[in-house]
Order: sequence, then C-alpha cells, then structure tokens
Amino acid sequence: MPESAFMRVIFRLLLIFGIIACGFSQAADGTVQPLSQVAVQKNQFMYYWKADPVGQTAQMVTLFCRNCGAATDTNAGSAAPGDIPLIAVLRDTLGDEDPENDRVLDVWLLNYANPGIGKKLLSAVPFFYWHPGSGSKSAAADYPKPLFDLTAPQHPVLTEAGRTLVQWTAFDPMMMPVRATSRMYRANALDDERLHLETAISYLRNAPVADDGSALTQTEVDTIVARLELRKKLLGGLVSEKQAAKIGADSAFQEERICSRNWEILRQCAEKTGLIFEQLKVAGDDGEYAMLWFPAGNPVPAGGTDLKPIWKLLNIRDPWADARLTSKVGLVPYARSFDSGGSLLPLGEHGAREQPLIPLGVYSLTYPKLPLLLVDFRDQIHIRRHEMTQRSINEITAGVIGISHFTNWYYYVAADLYDFVSGRHGAAMDQAERLDAYSRLRVALVLDQQMDAGLRKAIRTRLDGVSVNPLEAAPAREMQNAQIRYEHLEEESRAEGRLAVLLDQQRRAEIAAFGRSRARLDLDVLLRAGTFGLYHDRAPRAADNLKKLDTYRRLEYHLNFLDALAEAGTQPEVGYDSGRIRAAVEQVSASMAQVNSPAVRAHAIATLEKIKSISQSSDLQADCSHAIALLTQSPGKVRTMPNGGVVADAAVAAQSGK
Amino acid sequence: MRFLRIIAAAVVCFAVACAQQPSNPQLPGAKRLVILKVDGLNADLLYSNMRQIDAATGKPRLPWFAHIFGDGGTVFENFYTRGISLSAPSWCMLDTGHHTLIRGNVEWDRYTGYVYDYLNFFPFYLDYARSREIDMPGVQVLDRAGIPLLIDSFPPDQTYQSFQLYQRGVRWSTLKNVLERRFSARVLVPMLESGSAPSLDELWARQTEKELLAGLANSRILYLDFFTGDIDHAGHATSNAAELLEKLRNLDALAGRIWTAIQSSPLASQTLFVVVSDHGMNNVPGIHNQGFNLPDLFNSTEGGAQHVLLNRHELSDYKVRALDPLVKRAYAPSTLSFYLSGQSKQYPTVWIDLDGNERASVSFRNNDLNKIHILLLQLANPDLKPEIRSAAAAYLMATIDKHRSQWNTASAELSEELHALEPAIAQRKTILENQTKQPREERESGQNKTFLRQAQQLTDWQRERDTYTSYLAHVRALLAFHPDPYRPFSGKISDLIPEMSLGDPNTLYDLQNYIVGPGASGIVLDSAGRLDEERSFRRVNYFPLFAVQRVRNNPQPALSPKPIDFTALRLPAAGTADQSYWLYATDDDQLIIRTDASGNISAQPVSHLIQDADGRIQFTPQPWRAGLPLHLFEDPELKIPENADRATWLSAPHSEREWLQATHLCAYSNGIIGITEELSPIARYVPGTPGMNPLLLRYERRRRELVQPDLEIFAADHWNFNVRNFNPGGNHGGFFRISTHSVWMLAGAGVPTQASRNHTTV
Repeated sequence: MPESAFMRVIFRLLLIFGIIACGFSQAADGTVQPLSQVAVQKNQFMYYWKADPVGQTAQMVTLFCRNCGAATDTNAGSAAPGDIPLIAVLRDTLGDEDPENDRVLDVWLLNYANPGIGKKLLSAVPFFYWHPGSGSKSAAADYPKPLFDLTAPQHPVLTEAGRTLVQWTAFDPMMMPVRATSRMYRANALDDERLHLETAISYLRNAPVADDGSALTQTEVDTIVARLELRKKLLGGLVSEKQAAKIGADSAFQEERICSRNWEILRQCAEKTGLIFEQLKVAGDDGEYAMLWFPAGNPVPAGGTDLKPIWKLLNIRDPWADARLTSKVGLVPYARSFDSGGSLLPLGEHGAREQPLIPLGVYSLTYPKLPLLLVDFRDQIHIRRHEMTQRSINEITAGVIGISHFTNWYYYVAADLYDFVSGRHGAAMDQAERLDAYSRLRVALVLDQQMDAGLRKAIRTRLDGVSVNPLEAAPAREMQNAQIRYEHLEEESRAEGRLAVLLDQQRRAEIAAFGRSRARLDLDVLLRAGTFGLYHDRAPRAADNLKKLDTYRRLEYHLNFLDALAEAGTQPEVGYDSGRIRAAVEQVSASMAQVNSPAVRAHAIATLEKIKSISQSSDLQADCSHAIALLTQSPGKVRTMPNGGVVADAAVAAQSGK
Repeated sequence: MRFLRIIAAAVVCFAVACAQQPSNPQLPGAKRLVILKVDGLNADLLYSNMRQIDAATGKPRLPWFAHIFGDGGTVFENFYTRGISLSAPSWCMLDTGHHTLIRGNVEWDRYTGYVYDYLNFFPFYLDYARSREIDMPGVQVLDRAGIPLLIDSFPPDQTYQSFQLYQRGVRWSTLKNVLERRFSARVLVPMLESGSAPSLDELWARQTEKELLAGLANSRILYLDFFTGDIDHAGHATSNAAELLEKLRNLDALAGRIWTAIQSSPLASQTLFVVVSDHGMNNVPGIHNQGFNLPDLFNSTEGGAQHVLLNRHELSDYKVRALDPLVKRAYAPSTLSFYLSGQSKQYPTVWIDLDGNERASVSFRNNDLNKIHILLLQLANPDLKPEIRSAAAAYLMATIDKHRSQWNTASAELSEELHALEPAIAQRKTILENQTKQPREERESGQNKTFLRQAQQLTDWQRERDTYTSYLAHVRALLAFHPDPYRPFSGKISDLIPEMSLGDPNTLYDLQNYIVGPGASGIVLDSAGRLDEERSFRRVNYFPLFAVQRVRNNPQPALSPKPIDFTALRLPAAGTADQSYWLYATDDDQLIIRTDASGNISAQPVSHLIQDADGRIQFTPQPWRAGLPLHLFEDPELKIPENADRATWLSAPHSEREWLQATHLCAYSNGIIGITEELSPIARYVPGTPGMNPLLLRYERRRRELVQPDLEIFAADHWNFNVRNFNPGGNHGGFFRISTHSVWMLAGAGVPTQASRNHTTV
C-alpha cells in the first residue's frame, strides 16, 4: 500500500475509533426510493440469472454470461452450453416468496481462485512485475470462499487496519529487505483484491434485475455493488445498510455521468486532431470503451490551435508526425466505411465511402475526469512502462528508502502537488482507478463475442502486457475456474452442504445481534477482530429460529419504511397510499409483540408518534395511537430467551395476531 | 393592497402574451409570496412525471407537485421562455416582469472590454466581503437601468432571498452555517465512512431550506424564495431517466416540505406558493449531446485565424489556471494569425459568449479597425515600395474619412454624457463623504445597504469614465491621424487602435466581407495605382462558412453532422418602429422576420440576402417551403385557423398572441417571438430611474447597446457550443420547444383549482 494511503488509513482509523467510542458511529441513513420502475434492463440478452435452491429456505442466484464460453468450451451444469457463470449470491428467502424478509448474505466471484504459494512468494519480490503462468489450476480442490460477506462488512475493515498496523509497527522499523518485501506483498495483494472486486462490480452493473424472484432486485444489486465499492475504501465497511443501497444507486449514476462525459471529451479531441472516434461495444456494453483511429491518407489538419495539450490528454504521440502512419508502412490499416452522413460504420459494414484506418488506442471511459488510454497500438510497452515506473517509485520511496509521512512529510506534499498539477494537465495519476479500468476491459474481452475477432485479439495481446502483478491469473484460466467453482457451489448447496452451514451461522448471528445497541455491536466487531475471528456471538440452534428471523426482518422492513416517512416530515399519505402505510403500522405493532428489545420498542414508538403527528388521516392517526398503546403496555408480557432472541407471551401473541 | 398590486403585476408581467388571461389575476386573500425557483426544469419532464402513477406507492411519481398544484392549484401547461432559453436573460424577465435587458450569460462592452459575467458568484462574494460590491452583476445592471426586481416591492426586512443570479447582498450567516455543517462531526463521520460527504451545494440547499422554513414561521416575512440549480446541473450532466427522476423526487420532497411549513405557518391561508423555471432542457435518454468548438473554427485559416476571447477556459478541467474562480477573460489564440501573431491578449478580434449551450453570441472587432490595423502594419514596414506606401496611406486616410462623421458624432455624444457624469460623481462623493463621517457599523447597517450601493456605483462611474475616456482618446487620435505617404509609420499602433476593444458594431456587409488579414500577396495596386481592395485583404463571409460546417466524428445517427442550425442578426432599421431580423441557414434558406409599430410580426422566406458597401440590402423573395429556418411551414404542429393557407398565414402580420397560439407546439415553439425579443434594439427597454438626467439616461442606453453582439449562432438539435466543460446530458439556449418549455404553477391564497392550458409566455 502506498505510504499516503497508509497515512490516511491511520488517521481515519484513529478518528473513527474515537467517534465510535463516543457513540457517534451511526451513519446517515438516507431513504432509498426504488428506481426499478425506470431502471433500464441492460444487456438482458447477454446476461441472465439462474436460481438454485439451497436447502428449502434459501437460494443461490448465479449470474451467467450467455454464450460467452464458446471459446473456452465450458458447460455450466444445467445452464446452456457455452454460458459462463460469473457471480453467485446467497439469498436467504426463509422459504417463502415474499421479498420483505429476504436478505442477500454472501457474494462469490466465480472466476477468482486463490493464488498458489509460488505466486505469493513472487509477489513479495521487490521490482518483480511479471505474472508467470496462467494462474491456479487448484480451483477443483478449493471450497469457494465468498468474495464478500454482506452480513459482516465491518470485518475486513478491522482486518485491514490490523495488517496496516502490523506493517507500520513491526515490519517498517526492521531492515530494508523485510520492509520492502512485506510492502511489496501487501501492495500486490491489495491490487489483486481490488482487481477482483472491480470485476465483480463490472458483472453486476451489467446484470438484469427483476422483482419476481427470478433475479436480484435493483435494491439488492445496488446494495451489493455499494458494498463491493465500499470495500475498496478503508472504512467503507462501517456504512449502514440503508446508506449502502443509496451509495450503490448513486455510484451507478456517477459512472454513467463519467462515461458520457469522457465519451464527449474523446470525441471532441478526435475532432480537434483530425482523428476518427469510435465507440466500442465489448461484451454487450457499449458505453465503457472507445477507440481512436488514424485516417490514413488524409492531409494533416490545418487547425490554428495548439494541440500539445490534447496529445497529452490523449496520452499518445502526435500521429501526424509519425512516419509509420503517414508512410503507410509498419502498421496495418483496417478497411473501414463511412455512411453518407460521414459517420463511421461498424467493422465489416460497407457504406458510401471507404477509407483505410489505422488503430491508435483503446480508451476506458470509466476513469474519472478523462478517457484513460489502455492500449497504445503504436507503443506496446507504453502503458506498462508507466505502470512500472509509478510502482518502482512507490517501492523505492516507501519500501527501500523507507520514507515516512511523519519524518519526510515534505516529500509527500511535493509528490501530491506534482500529482495534482499533472492531473490538471490531463495525466491519469490515480493508480487504483487505472487498475479498475484495466480490470474491466480484461474480463470484458474474455466474455466478448461481438467484436471483430482480429481486433479483439490485437487488443487482448497488448492489454496482457499491462499486467504487472504476479498474483494475477490469465483471464481464460479464470473463466475455466468459474465453471468448476460453480459446480462446487451447486454441490455445497444441498441441505447438509457447506452453504447450509454458512447460512445457519449467519442467521444465528443475525438473531443474536437483533435489537442490540450500536455500541454493543461495535464491541462485538472489535472482539472478533481482537481474537482473530475466534469470537462469535450467535444464537443457539433452535427450531423456531426461522420464525424469529421472519419476525425480525419483517419488523425491520416495515419500520424502515415508516422511518423514511417520518424522516420526510411531511404528510405521509400524500406520498404513499394510506392502505400501505396502515398495513405497515399494523405489521410493526404485531411484530413488536414478539420482540423485547427496549431500543427497538422505543424506536418504534417514536416513529409511530412522528407518523401520527404529521398525518392528517384520522384513520392512520387512530392506527398509530392503537399501536403505540399496545407498545407501551408492560413489556413483562414478553420473555427474553436466555441465549439471545426473544419470545412473545402467548396471550400477547394471540392479541397481536387478531 | 400593495401585495395585490405586486401579485397582479407579477402575473401580468409573466403573461405578456396570455391567450386566455385568468379573469381576475388579483388574489384578494394573498398576503405572502413564496417562490420555488428551479433553474432548467423542463415542463414536459415535470408534468409527465406528475401524471404517472408509481406502482410502488400507489401515488403519482411526484406526489407533492401533483397534490399541491395538480389537485389544489393551477398548472400553466404552456409556459415558455421569451427570448433565448438561457438562465441570465430568463431570470431577468421573471424577476422583473420586464423585457429582457440582459441577453446572455456573459456580455462584453465593445469599447472597453468590460465583462458583465452574470453567472460567476465568486468575484461577487469576494468583492462583497471587501465591501466593494453589494449586488450580483445582473442586479447592478437593472438598478442602473431603473428596473426594480419583484423582491424590491417588499421592505428588505420583510424578505428572505436565497442565493441566486439576481441576488441582493450576501447573508454571511448562511455561508457560515454551511461551512459549519461542512466540517461538523455529523458530516465528517459519513465522509470518513463512505467518502461521500454531502457536497457544498447540498449543504447550501439544506441551510437555505432551514432558513426559509424558519422565515415561514415568522409572520413579518412576506416574500420568500428558494433558488435551486440542481436540476439544471443534473440535466446538463446526464440524460439518464432514472437519475433525473431521482432529482425530481428530491425537488418534489422539497416542495412538500415547504408546503407543509406554509400550512402550519401563521399566514397559511394568505400565502401564495409559486413554482417557476426559467427554461427547459433537451434531455433525451440514450442520446449524448455533442459539442462543436467555435473557437477552433475562428482559430483556423478558414475561420480567419482570429484570436478569440472567452469568459471561461476551454477544457477547463485540464488547466491549472482554470482553477482561478475569478476568471473573466480566457484567451484562445490562433497559431496561424495573419497579422496579429503573439498579440492574442492585446487584440482578440472575436469575443464569444459560449455559455449559452445551444446558442453562442459573437462580437467581431469592427471590420475597418482590422483594415486600419493591417494598413498601419504595412506602413510600418520600411521595405514597402513607395507607390504601395502612398496608395496604402491614401486608402487608410479614406477609411478614416469614411467614419469621420460617425466617429465625431459618437465621440461628441459620449463626451457629453461623460461630462454629465462628472457632477453626478462629485455629488455622489459628497454624499458618501458625509456618510463616512458616521460610524462604519451605522452606515452599513441599513437594511438596503444604500451606502454600499452608492459607493459601488461611484466606483463604476469612475471606472467607466476612465475607460471610455481612454477609448475616446484613441478615436480622436485616429481622427487626427494623417499617414505619411513617404516615410514608414513609426508610431505605436496601440495609440491608435485600442487594445481589448472591438470598436463600433459591424454592419451585415462587414460580416459578409470580414477582413482577417492582408491578401496573399500583401498590398496590391490596381491598374490606376490605387490600392486594390479586393486583392489586398483576405476576407471571410461568415454566414456560408457556418452553414458548411460538418463534423468528422458524429457517431450518433440521430444527430445531424451539421452542428450549426442557423445564424441570426438584426437588419438595419428602415423606420424607427419597424424592425427586421434575418435568419440564415444557407444561401438558399433564409427568413426575414419583421415587426411593425403596432407589434405585429410577419415572416418572409428569402434567399441570397446581401448588404452592399453602401448599406443597401438586396434579397430574392421566395415562396414558403420546407427547410427554411425554424421549419414552421412543414411543422405538423402549426395551428393556424381552419381553411387558412399556411403560406398566406405565415406571411401575414399577426399579433404575438396569434403567433404563440399557432406555433407553441412546433419544434421551435415561440422562436419567432424569441428572435424579436432577443435581437430587438435594447435602448428602448431602459426606462431609467425617476428624475434621471436625460444625458445620463442616454448614457445608460448606450452602455446596453454596446454589449449587443454582432450575431447569434444557434446549434442544431443535440449540438452545443460549450467548450469549457461538456454537456453530454441536455442543453438549452435555443428555441427548441423542449428547451423553452418552462414551468409555472401556483397554489394557495385562493388560486383556482384547475389545470390551465393557457398559452403563456414570459
């Protein structure tokens, strides 16, 4: 990890721990409005979900890429031949079809396999920027561990913080070889993790959504995407559930904004410089990549404006001054056609005018602020050289010399200033974002079946040269692993399989945590981190666990809904159908009879009071009054179970079920 | 009854051309006015979402707008921007109920290069903090012209004004609270947790809302407004329907909170709640709006290799200097300039307001100043042949003589006005000196801050006096200049040709024969030994140049490869009241729009319109057909009386109201009225302050005339001229219906409950 990031980690950790200790750790819980009504179903013909039962009460929902495995000759179980499984999600439905009590628990990136020991050793070698071999073949022997546990997003935060502290306090003060190798290993491991997080996000962004149980819902996809995005941030795991879904939706909007802005920047730069812009459709997505072509035979454009800043922004040398292009030797042109309006037609189509075009570069449009050059057709080591240089500088300063933020702060101030100025002049200085862009194109090329095969091969060959992480596996090998890992998961999803065990553990942890104060939950997280994962707080196995969970989740669902109305502070029946609100009030009232958490009870009463005060519907007000009256009855009618969880007094339960 | 008068005035002014005026615009129950001002809110987008039911809620997608205005108020479904669909001009009309006095987001004084930057808040805040400015630039212009804002009808202590384009003063308490929120622990925690702390804009909006809601609880506050630019910003950035709906939902929730606060306020039944927007936005999901770079065109050889002056930096995200929030001038030099190489900062010859998205206003340096400049450079060449020197000197003298009368008159008038300014300056100084004897807190504590306004105006007067005097000195130097036909010119060109100045406006002839440099062979003589004007200068006819522009990269088949739709300018007036406006698409496709003394408008298709050197206009009339500017003839939405012949109806004079009714559903909606508003002579719209010295009134009118551009360029659908940043979402600025269709809704205080279909324009 770069030193600057490390310092941010420490600072944030100290600050956040302080805040947690003071009891201020609640995140701002924004209301999430479902956007599924207007969500565009992207690439629904290329990607689809398949749901497999896990026991009787849960599902493994798997995202497939249709016909993407033709080249790799895979066959995903009961899926169509040639379809590749990409992502699997464990969704706990509690055995019913009502989405109110559903939870997504774990996410698997199926094409990810843990690197072998050899690769790990190589990744600790300073200045080693190659990845020998195609990657692990051991997927068959592995139990596929989840990429992310959505029920415990805080855990990786503390694990990472612990590793950083160890690096800082134990390894950094030691001799240079230890410091350099440990830092190198951590940097590669973090990059490898980020690469796969971004791969998973990329798949999910293309996934179709549905509310009928056949696929993940928009909110579920938004939540998972947000959790994976937040995993990239040091303290992202501390964000609350409601905030996460909002972040997921916002990040999708943000990405679309970035793409369309970069699209226009690149098009205008092409226009200024006399080049030809083409939007690329890779693996069904036509908004993330674009290419610049050189129009062979065209005269040098007589502009009148200084183009140096534009070449800098495009990150390529002036092609009009490149003898290989103007002399038509050295680079092979593609025969391309234009329509009568002058627009470039897709490769292979014929139009009003033909012209040979020479490919110059492939750009990612997802990099913030500017189009990022990923492939330079004229200079195969251009991008790699840049990546290696930046990594080398980081290794020399932090690993070899051991420059520290504390004692050598002026170096980092100067470095940040340099990055800022370079960025303002159109250089892509964000290494992590560059890695994300590279990661996306890498897997997209493997899945793609639409692009011209020759062009795809040319791009893939050049992109492979960009990889500098020894932990990285070849994308084709990863796709083969995906099939094997999917079959493993299918096998483990039987009633007594490991997924069922995982499900049971997570459910019992959820029961135990329900109704606890935030401070107590934070303490549990710290205890778990402090004992290296040995500490667990789970409710005991019991026959009625499912019923309890059903109650808790429904209560949470309806209380969240009412909270959103209360937070709005306006007449609730204007925004929502009164029947829907009254049903939620009744559900809360009924569910609370089976819950004995004083915090939840107080929360519910406050929410109902607020709803009552802002409503102008006498029926709704009466419902709220009735519910409040029930909730303020003596809690003695509810018993707490000795090992966590609660149970209702029979009489109260009967009353609430009226 | 003051309030009733204000509301009536506001309603009437908003509806200058109201087809079915409400029977009684006065609202006897109204005592307080609350306005939600939404920049760039497209009426089509809003109204369609107000009508659609959300399956998840069982209510309209925008439940509060539907509840407040759809069910309990009045929605004006056909409300359009008058003039161009641009923020500064549109809000100028909405805030004053007056013809627009501000016609761009930035305006340049042709003589002095002074920049009226109506959108940049930073210099205003800075100068306000230094007690150098008290109002936003737009308000200063209106004050000088004697046009009050709607808010001026209320005593300052009875108003709450949010931050906006036409803003009086700054409330530091708001800024302070925003900064406190920005750096409070409550914000830091989510920022640390997710890296997505609320933006400054969000915090600003929250603070403003908080203050507005507090104001509603105070029965003394009778005017409150809330200005938001969120919709405009989002609309420019994206056309994603889901994101735009999300923004609309946020706005809807805000309206709900304001309405709820109104209902629980002491003046609930007497409060009129208004939602208004200044223009629409052409967001179409799946379409990226594309930019066309006008500075590049002017920099190129075919465009005249001219140095261009802009109000913002091009590609501003990729320049360190673009971080300067106080920027007023940014230069786009040409590397191929024919005679001004390396002098882009002294002599930018094309000034552009690009901030209009679908439209750009362009001011060119006076053509004869170019000619004189080129000749002076030639005369300074010691190697010039004697016969050429002599001919060039004679030609230069003739050029000056051609303007002698006009320059003499103009400089005499301007001198007279500046002379009249002197006593005003002296008087103002005396007043301020008397006031400065009072303690600072006392003199600055006045609710309307008269002292600071007067001080600022004094500073402006003094600056104007100095800069105009400097300009006049150049004009006089030119008038007195006699080129030596025998010796090289050894003086300083900058003593004769003012730097950062465009001089007088160009004629149509000038623009059709615009001189951009010496001829390819330099000065050439004709057979009679005189300077051959045709061959001695390089010229550009800009109108066909704009028409032939095609882009190389047009990846979207839905967009025309032709980025420029048409060019428009006002033709020289035949009479005092009649005006003619020329719309040029190609040499064959042109339209003349005429207005007469009674305000009737007519249109005539023409072709090949030119102005000769003597000022005579010639054109070829042609019958109505498809393909003319504004595309009215072929528009299926043109609603003319039954049995009327389209060509006959379009050629005949009609009132504005008739034009509006006929055209408002067309692709260019009320463009024909918009042209007459945007390009009309502006001086008549400057009423002046009561009791104003007639010379100073003439001066104020002159200053407004001096910021009018030579021509306006309008972009084709989904094209824009923004080179500062990129607007891949939607754009506005032109006359497309989607860009001009604005929002106006009223509720409360006895406003009738109905959805009005009145054809209304600002």
